[in-house]
Amino acid sequence: MSAFIDARTLPSGTAQTPDLAIIGGGPAGIALAMALADTRLKILLLESGGMNFDPAVQKMYAGQQTGYEPLDGDRLRYLGGGTNHWGGWCRPMDESDFEARDWVPSSGWPFGRAALEPYFPRAQSLVEAGVWTYDQGGNALAASHGPMLQVGKGGIYTTWFQFSKMRGDVLPTQFGHRYAQDLRAQANLTVWLNANVTGIRLAPNAASVDHLDVATLGPSGGAGKQFTIRPRYTVLACGGIENARLLLVSNDVMKPGIGNRADLVGRYFADNPIPRDVATMVVFSGTLAPYYANNRDMGHGTILRAAFTPSDAWRRQARVGGSLTTVEQPVTLDDVGKAAVATTAAALGVDASGARAWSLGCGLELIPDPERRVRLSLETDALGLPRVKLANTISDEDFARYRTTLAELGRQLLASKAGMLRINCTTREEWMKNMDWGHHHLGTTRMHDDPRRGVVDANAMVHGVPNLYVAGSSIFPSYGASNPTMNLIALTLRLADHLKTVMA
Amino acid sequence: MRRRAVIAGTGAVAAGVAAVGLWRFTGLFRRYAPTPYDDLLSQLDDRDRAALLGRHAVDMADARMTAQELRTRIGKGSLAKAAFDDVQAGRMSEVDGWILPRSVAQMATLAAHA
Repeated sequence: MSAFIDARTLPSGTAQTPDLAIIGGGPAGIALAMALADTRLKILLLESGGMNFDPAVQKMYAGQQTGYEPLDGDRLRYLGGGTNHWGGWCRPMDESDFEARDWVPSSGWPFGRAALEPYFPRAQSLVEAGVWTYDQGGNALAASHGPMLQVGKGGIYTTWFQFSKMRGDVLPTQFGHRYAQDLRAQANLTVWLNANVTGIRLAPNAASVDHLDVATLGPSGGAGKQFTIRPRYTVLACGGIENARLLLVSNDVMKPGIGNRADLVGRYFADNPIPRDVATMVVFSGTLAPYYANNRDMGHGTILRAAFTPSDAWRRQARVGGSLTTVEQPVTLDDVGKAAVATTAAALGVDASGARAWSLGCGLELIPDPERRVRLSLETDALGLPRVKLANTISDEDFARYRTTLAELGRQLLASKAGMLRINCTTREEWMKNMDWGHHHLGTTRMHDDPRRGVVDANAMVHGVPNLYVAGSSIFPSYGASNPTMNLIALTLRLADHLKTVMA
Repeated sequence: MRRRAVIAGTGAVAAGVAAVGLWRFTGLFRRYAPTPYDDLLSQLDDRDRAALLGRHAVDMADARMTAQELRTRIGKGSLAKAAFDDVQAGRMSEVDGWILPRSVAQMATLAAHA
């Protein structure tokens, strides 16, 4: 039986020497700890927050940003991390998401999707998204719940999201609460709550982590208790913004920050933008199965929702990025829209007298951009750590490429005589008018075999620091459009297997 | 006599209203001024609606050239076939954001300029 220890109750100066320290108790940290349950490794998981939301702890996330949203509003700093407010959307990344694409600068993973395949089933199980269905079985399962919209032959096909279980009004799997008992039952694990890592301290030769500085938040707001942890190995799993922040603030030995010789830590930040009402889709028959505009429980714990996405082959041919276009809500056409439908349907010889229209939204993959970046500001948090300054942008090229994808979807709907499509956004202002964000923090400690092009190697080890690893979506070198949680868990499970080997 | 006149008058008014309604809302009985493109425009079910759409086309080339291209494409076939062929071949146009077969967009544009 392990223990959850409130670090505020420990005597200051308490020292620990675990085999492995995991910094961060979000989905990556929890999945990693659980994946190492069958080892003899002594593991210490350090979580900044407690079991529930605490405004004082949350405030340590605050920072400056441009082109984004408040930094203390789109993350949650307590056990379970981002899964405490996620939507439960799951979909494995596509093969082409991993490829070095010559039309996507700085793209490409050190390995293909095949390297993650063995880990998807366990990841799927951890997020409780039901039987693995997705594109392998989605069409067949959905067809028994209503006819699919025929999108015709071409570059776009119907793909499927699955959802972390939403039983009645129970939210998707929140890792902290869902797995608290499993973590407590894990004999080789200790969890410290309210324990903030304030520095990763390297040995003088900068070739290994020597120790971690840990502090609690004092009752009056400043630093409280302080501890020193000397782990054999450390895994940083604090999310896409904090991972970069901790490497940058730990600059006592390596002045640019740990792993930052090539000035890459914090660069290439990305999220999946979610512009709404990007297009209007008309269905000539007026009927659309319920799994298009809503999540649909298909039984046996499998919840599906349809989306439209470019195939790998067409992405290569048309040189577009990843995107997942979803049906949102019914809309009414204006007179020009009605004229477009009547004229086109008549020309094609289709009855559109009962046509209905729906608004479309999407999740997009951004082109990697080194100027989209996490840096340190001059302001400090309650523990004296520099706060974050985030610069976020979307290029016009990102929108232009998605426009190409929408036009292909429109063409295919006409080809199948099932419907037609209007693209609602042309100018940058129109794209940005209804912009949401996925709150998927990606790319800031990117993975590449070449230390000049990546912060971590293909095993997620920080280049040049063999006992320091990074887990989570911050190591994604290019992003795809799929929601990252299930994918980053698969990647973390792969890391667990690697650690079993190197730490044995 | 008076009753008959009232019935006849009412009938005449009703017929007139119906005719105006059909003209206004269905295009039946509608007559347009002759244009050089009537051979093409006759393939439209609803020329007024097509014109409403066509007025939003921003890249209207010379109408005569557009008509010539359409005639070549349609030949002795139909707009339906030309439109479907366009879609299959990826010959698409965008009018007010709507993704249309090129022949449909051209036809709408001609209707707007006729």
